[in-house]
Amino acid sequence: MSYTATIDAGACSAHGDCEAIAPEVFRLDDVAVVIGSGEDELMLEAARACPAVAITITDAGSGVQLFP
Amino acid sequence: MIGDIVIAGGGLAAQRCAETLRRSGHDGRIVMVCEERSRPYDRPPLSKEALHDGVDMDALSFRPDAWYTDNDVELLLGTGARGLRAEERVLELDGAPALHWDRLLIATGSRPRTLAQLARFDNVTSLRDAGDARILSRVLRPGARLLIIGAGFIGQEAASAARRAGADATIIEAGAGPLSHILGSEVGAWLSAMHHSRGVTLHLSSEVDSVSGGREVGSVTLTDGSRVECDHVLVAVGVTPSLDWLAGTPLGPGAIRADADGGTSLPGVFAAGDCAATLDPALGMHVPGNHWESAARQGTRAAKAMLGLDAPAPGISSFWSDLHGTRIQYLGHAQSADAVSFDGDREAHDFTATFTREGRPVAVLLAGRPQQLPQARQLLSTTTR
Repeated sequence: MSYTATIDAGACSAHGDCEAIAPEVFRLDDVAVVIGSGEDELMLEAARACPAVAITITDAGSGVQLFP
Repeated sequence: MIGDIVIAGGGLAAQRCAETLRRSGHDGRIVMVCEERSRPYDRPPLSKEALHDGVDMDALSFRPDAWYTDNDVELLLGTGARGLRAEERVLELDGAPALHWDRLLIATGSRPRTLAQLARFDNVTSLRDAGDARILSRVLRPGARLLIIGAGFIGQEAASAARRAGADATIIEAGAGPLSHILGSEVGAWLSAMHHSRGVTLHLSSEVDSVSGGREVGSVTLTDGSRVECDHVLVAVGVTPSLDWLAGTPLGPGAIRADADGGTSLPGVFAAGDCAATLDPALGMHVPGNHWESAARQGTRAAKAMLGLDAPAPGISSFWSDLHGTRIQYLGHAQSADAVSFDGDREAHDFTATFTREGRPVAVLLAGRPQQLPQARQLLSTTTR
């Protein structure tokens, strides 16, 4: 549980895939918003699934960007 | 105070409009008039995974049934829009009482173009709705011979699905290469090579000359003289706006010209999605719909505009396709390009094609590089915006 997600609101086109994969982390409003945290692997999976590549996953401990 | 809002249509733009209205605080009546009998569902999978895995309406639906009751959105399923009396603010329906509206969204989408010489045969279909996908997914069995007319993305995705299912696929395309009228001859040649390598037969610069068969098409003869036998024919030669019902009004039958917020020439009437040609302020022109992201954004923006709320400037819309296991993404407008450069390995289906006009990037196509999309978007937004 050390990964954090951020969403590029200008890039998000509200496909909703992230919410479907990790509903405790992402919620679809006009664009997707981060509402919490979840399992690291689930957050990565959501980021990889985003057709707009609008989700950035960072390891909060090391500060290393893991995706994209 | 906004009164009743009626949404004519049950696709993505319609759904996003309804969701945004409720989220933005509209507590008045919302009615969605959906010609299909299924609640609103997502269409891109119909030419992709649904052809392989089968059509699962619960998976395709945007929202469960309960969402509509929970949000007090009235769904009129199996009900088509039949006419518009704009001055009285009335939408006439097929088989249901007319609806009065204070704001109307026209989002009736588009329907596939058909070919007259194939219209009478039983084994000829298009690929637009869930019923079409069900038919095609049943056809795609090992050894089945699928003939596809048109090498747009739908036709190419169907060919990809056919090969994955072990069926034969033959594509007939009037142009010199798949999508070469939009993406140029080099990308067209790459797409052709990709299909060849996966066992798809392509007949380019070719059209159907004559058709033989009884109730079903047995074979077609092409303008290049060759003859193709088939078990099923998919006609994928583009779409036309579903606006026949607006005959006698100032709108239609061509795509409805809408401003960036969906407003039309009629007060209180908005248009979004495939039936609209929406102003792109950055390009200074009205762009016809037909893409998922633009329909989603337009539905959202129209909802905001109906309520008098500001919407953020739209980002650059991209669209995507999956062909033979390779994700293809495209953003921008390559038609205006005068040059294209490639970075990467075309044979490995791993490259970026950058389209430029007078040296400025106007479009980017990514093959097998989904993680490059942010950079591509950045490149275009700094040069075209």
